Amino acid sequence: MPEEPVLEVRDLSVDYVLARGNVRAVDDVSFTVNRGEFLGIVGESGCGKSTLLFAVAQLLAAPAAIAAGSVTFGGTNLVGLTEGQLSAIRWRDMSVVMQSAMNALNPVKTIGAQFKDAMRAHGKFTGADVSARSAEVLKMVGIDPLHLRSYPHQLSGGMRQRAMIAMAMLFTPDLVIMDEPTSALDVVAQRSLMVQIKELQQALGFAVIFVTHDMSLISHFSDRLMVMYAGQVDELGATRTIFDQPLHPYTQGLLEAFPSIRGPRVPLKGIPGAPPDLSAVPTGCRFHPRCPYAVDRCTTDAPELYPLEAALVRCLRRQDGSLAS
Amino acid sequence: MTTTDLPVPAETPRPRTELLRTDRLARYFKIGGALSRRTLHAVDDVSFSIGEREIVALAGESGSGKSTIARVLARIYEPTAGQVFFEGKPLSAMRSRADRLRYSGLVPMVFQDPFASINPVFRVQHGVLRSLKLHRPELSAAQCEQEAAHVFEVVGLSPDMLQRFPHELSGGQRQRVGFAQALAMRPRLILADEPVSMLDVSIRIGLLNLMAKLRDEEGVSVLYITHDIASARYVADRLIVMYAGQIAESGPIEDVLAHPRHPYTQLLLSAVPDPRAPLTVAAETDRGEPPKVIDPAPGCRFRWRCPVAIDTCAQVTPVLAELRPGHDAACHVAQTSATEVKAFS
Repeated sequence: MPEEPVLEVRDLSVDYVLARGNVRAVDDVSFTVNRGEFLGIVGESGCGKSTLLFAVAQLLAAPAAIAAGSVTFGGTNLVGLTEGQLSAIRWRDMSVVMQSAMNALNPVKTIGAQFKDAMRAHGKFTGADVSARSAEVLKMVGIDPLHLRSYPHQLSGGMRQRAMIAMAMLFTPDLVIMDEPTSALDVVAQRSLMVQIKELQQALGFAVIFVTHDMSLISHFSDRLMVMYAGQVDELGATRTIFDQPLHPYTQGLLEAFPSIRGPRVPLKGIPGAPPDLSAVPTGCRFHPRCPYAVDRCTTDAPELYPLEAALVRCLRRQDGSLAS
Repeated sequence: MTTTDLPVPAETPRPRTELLRTDRLARYFKIGGALSRRTLHAVDDVSFSIGEREIVALAGESGSGKSTIARVLARIYEPTAGQVFFEGKPLSAMRSRADRLRYSGLVPMVFQDPFASINPVFRVQHGVLRSLKLHRPELSAAQCEQEAAHVFEVVGLSPDMLQRFPHELSGGQRQRVGFAQALAMRPRLILADEPVSMLDVSIRIGLLNLMAKLRDEEGVSVLYITHDIASARYVADRLIVMYAGQIAESGPIEDVLAHPRHPYTQLLLSAVPDPRAPLTVAAETDRGEPPKVIDPAPGCRFRWRCPVAIDTCAQVTPVLAELRPGHDAACHVAQTSATEVKAFS
């Protein structure tokens, strides 16, 4: 299959415009998503991943605003489009599954009524069309269409999350953006939801952007991985390559932060310290205060994102080769 | 990081002295309207014990009764049936205010959500000083402040953090404040209800190391409630797996993970994401849901999701039986077959 980008993000920056000055939450981020690709975005809370997603979906609300860059989706630059123009694209071609999908459903409306709302907001459909399509998407995610008449509280957490994903499938979009859709679920439900998403993706051919802070979760599901730290991309490459040979010290730290149920029990350290406050990012490399390999240069010179082997990485010591694998 | 922060490997079992024991504990909830007779069996017939200086992990999916057990142990709920014994004495006998206060100081709880469990309008010292005043009235004001600074240091916070407001702290720091508050009361057993699940992966390890440190240096036991088996393995000595309000399997954690006998434990282990495992999407996946345990009939509660269920499973509720040293499972199939049955892998 030829590599055909569905989404192209170029030099995107997002500012929170505050009285005490602007805070740059997303800084000069560029990436593409190809048709049918699964892109994982990982990073700690406060690294700008959710802001980035909101910027891609054009859902930013004041005080956040896109400061620079473009988001090209299906050949159209979405930045600067009016709500009316966006409405033709949203949900039909690009849909979003939010972090707390459990709470994103309206508790006083049945699932079916909410599906109907979504369809009617983005096109003209007869009642029969709506119920046929609603039943179809619900079946796709393994829920009995009977539940179209259920209220959200009658479904379990996993089912609610699946219903949200079904809702995102209503128009068979080209791109589905998911912001930690599994974070409220336990491991068994989480695993089955991930398998479900992957199956749907293979059957319907849509692209996925999946944001999470748990790298192990997407290790088996994503094609490419983008690691974000303090609003910037630190590493971008094929998932397997990154897991086998993480280049950025932050990526290494993330990979070593979770224990395994297999192999010997080894003491872990996690990543000492906390992510920086975006209104006062460290000079030089933004990761240097937490980096075990930092040298003097890292505190003054800001590294560029540059290609190394098959990946892109932002690390001075990798760039000049003074940090071996 | 010093070596004292490292968890002690399970290969060196300590002699166990029992600290707390539950005997056929049950907690039911009435559901529906005033005329409804339906009851939800959140916890049913649960017996286990926690030793001194021991971290016991209580694992299971949402709705399996883990938090209900913690709340019964914290005396937030009264048990519907059964008994809890602490240091050999039944909780039901501790009726006076002094007894209850003493118990809640010895067995404090740390909650899941570090953003909701600290009062946002007070400085963080408020919670610590209040528990000191309540539980250790013999201390003078100056001693209280000293003690507060001491427990902050133990949990890895600098004492000047005491003057901060909760919103100035990160999630990991707030959860450390939760442990500091518990520690100020000189506890024997900390009930930690999903203490790390709301935190970033990179921060979690620090708190798990803290729990191990509290066990090793302060001699505190921890009931660590989690659905994350990997973190349980990292820090715990024993594992109890709950399913639908009952114990499915329990034993020394390494033994349970190496030889899971209950099909549900096997399912749980197969679902743990592991980037070190080969990159394959498992063909068979479980699409089942945990049952709502409303007025249950006898029989194994896992049988609808169990690929190896036999006729007996629909008629007789399985009870825990020892299958390996110190390692129990409540499964008819595992108890009757000579070889280890693999339902999920």
